[in-house]
Amino acid sequence: MVLKIASKEMKEVLRDGRFRVLSALCLVLLLVAVFSGKRYYEHVNAQHRDAAEKERLNWVSQDAKNPHSAAHYGTHAFKPKYPMSLIDQGVDKYTGVSIYLEAHVRNEAQFMAAQDQTALSRFGDLTPDFILLFLLPLLIILVGFNAITREKENGTLRLLQSMGISPLNLALGKWLGIFIPVAALLAFIFLLAAWLLNNLSDFGTFSLSALLILFSVYLLYYAVFSNLVLIVSAWAKKSSIAFVILLSAWIVACLGMPKLTTNLANTLYPYPTQQEFMEAVNEDKKKGLDGHDPWNDAAKKLEQEVLAEHGVDSVHKLPFNFDGYLMQKGEEHEAEIFFKHYEHLKEIYEKQSSLYKNAAILSPFLPARFLSMALCRTDYHSHWHFSDEAEKYRLHMMNALNMDFADNSTYGDWSYKSNPELWAKIEPFDYNPPTYASVLAFNAGNFTVLIFWFLISGVVLVYRCKKLKV
Amino acid sequence: MLEARNLSKSYNGTAALQGLNLLVKPGDIFCLLGANGAGKTTTINLFLNFIEPSGGEAVIGEYRVTDAPLETKKLLAYIPENLMLYPNLTGIENLDYFSSLAGKKYNQQELGKFLAEAGLQEDAHAKRINTYSKGMRQKVGIAISLAKQAKVLLLDEPTSGLDPKASNEFAALLKKLSQQGVATLMATHDLFRAKETGTHIGIMKEGKLVETLTTEQINHADLEKLYLQHMN
Repeated sequence: MVLKIASKEMKEVLRDGRFRVLSALCLVLLLVAVFSGKRYYEHVNAQHRDAAEKERLNWVSQDAKNPHSAAHYGTHAFKPKYPMSLIDQGVDKYTGVSIYLEAHVRNEAQFMAAQDQTALSRFGDLTPDFILLFLLPLLIILVGFNAITREKENGTLRLLQSMGISPLNLALGKWLGIFIPVAALLAFIFLLAAWLLNNLSDFGTFSLSALLILFSVYLLYYAVFSNLVLIVSAWAKKSSIAFVILLSAWIVACLGMPKLTTNLANTLYPYPTQQEFMEAVNEDKKKGLDGHDPWNDAAKKLEQEVLAEHGVDSVHKLPFNFDGYLMQKGEEHEAEIFFKHYEHLKEIYEKQSSLYKNAAILSPFLPARFLSMALCRTDYHSHWHFSDEAEKYRLHMMNALNMDFADNSTYGDWSYKSNPELWAKIEPFDYNPPTYASVLAFNAGNFTVLIFWFLISGVVLVYRCKKLKV
Repeated sequence: MLEARNLSKSYNGTAALQGLNLLVKPGDIFCLLGANGAGKTTTINLFLNFIEPSGGEAVIGEYRVTDAPLETKKLLAYIPENLMLYPNLTGIENLDYFSSLAGKKYNQQELGKFLAEAGLQEDAHAKRINTYSKGMRQKVGIAISLAKQAKVLLLDEPTSGLDPKASNEFAALLKKLSQQGVATLMATHDLFRAKETGTHIGIMKEGKLVETLTTEQINHADLEKLYLQHMN
């Protein structure tokens, strides 16, 4: 009986023409977005591979030189583009694609896609996530806003009420009638995406299970909207009223709350400006050890300690080059300062994130938005992970270079040149993104909120439909 | 089959129905006459459990409607003054939908048979309801009650606004159903049709059933006289 109701609802929806036009429109947009996303992914991926290879070649083909010169010469870490980014671009456009790894400094990622575009890029790109997160909920509203009000207005509700069916069956049938067409559209797009990703020559870290989880996130998101649409349609007396209410709800949930939360997050927990950040770092650096300045207080202190430890009275008598050792200690000290200040940034980021999680109580859009980005590895958290790993690699690289200097030369011998083999001995940066298990664990809150939304709206819907007296 | 026991309904202290007692047995067609606001529709709505009684009880079959609304609704078919169906679906699709809501499964042929039995011309079966006249929609209503195998018919002025031919056909269908043992309660303004079709007549005034008689007891002219007597 439930399926009968659902199939009758769908039949009506299909004959109405509204759904045909709108879903065709959404489908065309999605197809364009998916195919252009695929091309963009292939393009960026090829660039990434090319750049990484060339950069490695630049690094290993350095001449014999002082290792610390090589440390200043530096290299680049390139952030991989993930296959599922073709579904959700997340914040990728604004986070930069590579990090310059050099001595003494932790650099920010640079070369953001947004930099290469004109100011018109503020209008946004046509990406599947835009259609999936914004337009399909609108489609659900347009299909379902009069699911029950139309029965009231046409007078069919009275006949329905005289049939002796349970309100729950009616609600479930109506619900499926709204949900199935949209779910079918979603399934089609995900099947297409899975097929495209599987056929990519280099599909890298693509995992079918992640795609399936993403699929279920969207299903859950649409289920929440289907619930809300039916609640309002059961409550309102007129279709026009239901439509206005639902459209307002969509504006609040999908447009208002995300922007409001962003404003609030930036007001409550502002990030320091680049200038403030670097000033604070430099302030701390001045207080501590400088590898290039053996005359500052901290360097003198370190010298006394090292001499005492080895039981000698002059740096010339140490079994290693104190210059190299000092350089490494300076590097470690600077790394600590950077670590401290980046931790501070992360704290701000955590506070902002938790604000978004709280705001999700007012908007099912937010948890869906964050889950989608996270599963596609295009969220800010993924970027942080890359940045941290690149920093680890930088420290590892600096350590290898400075210690080569310390171990193979004598104090004061700045003309020491290491064998070019050393460059190749430092293995290339091999970045592994966090596992999906840890992504899911990190996003457990978003999952909970979304499920909570589904359950609460489901209970309200059941309660509301019981009042229909069918 | 259909019984009202001291059934009352009041809205904010104003009585819409007072102490109604009536019994409709299988095969009976009980016609409720009365002015607008006399309580006819209230009575039908009480049997449908659309509204809660203030006192007394409405019984269909063995159940009080307030105790078992779903079970009692399974027994009945309801045709309001203006039966509304889904405009984008065809006659046969509407019938299919409502009969499956009633828990019945029929194939297309059987559904077509019900429509034909209800007097709907064959070429209209596959046409959408938005092309139907009111009389045709009422026939689909009858087809629904046939398909539902309803034991009780609740009709709220089903023939008002129908042309005489359609009205006549409708009355013939009701008679046919009553021969099959269906108990019918019909609110109407049509004295002539009530006398012709009905087995019993009740006259209502200001929420009270003021007169009950069988149609055999009275001729048409006397019925009209009696009716007007009560109204004045």
